[in-house]
Amino acid sequence: MAEIVAAALTSHAPLMTGKPEISRPEQRERLYAGFHELQRRMAATRPDVIVMFVNDHLQNFPYSNLPAFCVGLADAYDAPSPGSSRFMRIPPRKIAGARELSMALLEQGLASGFDFAFSYEIDTWDELAVPLHFLTPEGDVPIAPIYTNCAAPPLPTPARCHQMGAFVGDFIRSRPTRERVALVATGGISHWVGTPQTGRINPEWDQRFLDHIARADVEPLLRLTWAEIERDGGNGGQEIRNWIALLGAVPGWKGEALAYEPVMEWITGCATVWVHP
Amino acid sequence: MIKTSYALNKVLTAVARQHATKEKLVDEELTGHSLSEAERQALKTGDIDALYHLGANPYLIRRVFRPNFKI
Repeated sequence: MAEIVAAALTSHAPLMTGKPEISRPEQRERLYAGFHELQRRMAATRPDVIVMFVNDHLQNFPYSNLPAFCVGLADAYDAPSPGSSRFMRIPPRKIAGARELSMALLEQGLASGFDFAFSYEIDTWDELAVPLHFLTPEGDVPIAPIYTNCAAPPLPTPARCHQMGAFVGDFIRSRPTRERVALVATGGISHWVGTPQTGRINPEWDQRFLDHIARADVEPLLRLTWAEIERDGGNGGQEIRNWIALLGAVPGWKGEALAYEPVMEWITGCATVWVHP
Repeated sequence: MIKTSYALNKVLTAVARQHATKEKLVDEELTGHSLSEAERQALKTGDIDALYHLGANPYLIRRVFRPNFKI
């Protein structure tokens, strides 16, 4: 049977790679060290595929058609695209899509009461490119992204995201394959982007969130409302849904924060977390 | 209460997909959209606070009116 061999949570922000020089060197180095340690640990697990819990930033889904959860079925994903490559200062590249796994997930979901939307072509941004730049520098591990609406409210509740992740975890463990599956969730933690408070970060809220994850104490996180997250974590903080979904896939696993830096210049509370049994 | 203006977000999505950043929009870019006068003025002045409070999505505000942000 397939096996979940690794799980990681990371923030994503285009400026992490696009404008490293504007951040304070000591913060940047600690965060990059966290990413490199995640990469080292993940590589040691020799994953065959990475299931990614991510979100769109209205690059892709317009207000005329906004799925709560969407499974990517693309042959390959830009990480980054040639256009966004200039902004993120990462060479353009394509990462292969794990099409068979994604289609099986979609079909099993529909058969089991989890009605994912699907897309054969996804216009990606930093949600894939920046974390994968650090985690799979060779870009040789296929990915199966699951997009959750974290950007255009009303959003799926944290509890529903957790249920979705639990479904994905059960799906993986029931696969009649010998796949070694890594899970990666990207986004968060607190940040305000495009609002009148743009640039704000809430390190205290971020730390409480990380503490809950360190204890595998997710129940209080599942009760968070959109308004509470918006108030304390900002509109970018809504991306914690991706992390919560991943945690649903590995019940009882605990998060070890390898780095946390509230990087004002990148307007993001940035973290890298290794999740383990 | 979540406040969303579909008209504002439709305009901003159209501009964002041109990969253009603006300080303000002009009448030509607003033609054919069902906007309130307050929405029209906010777009024509690039007033990011007003746009937010009128129900524009912050990610779209950021992408279109990037030059109007201090950070």
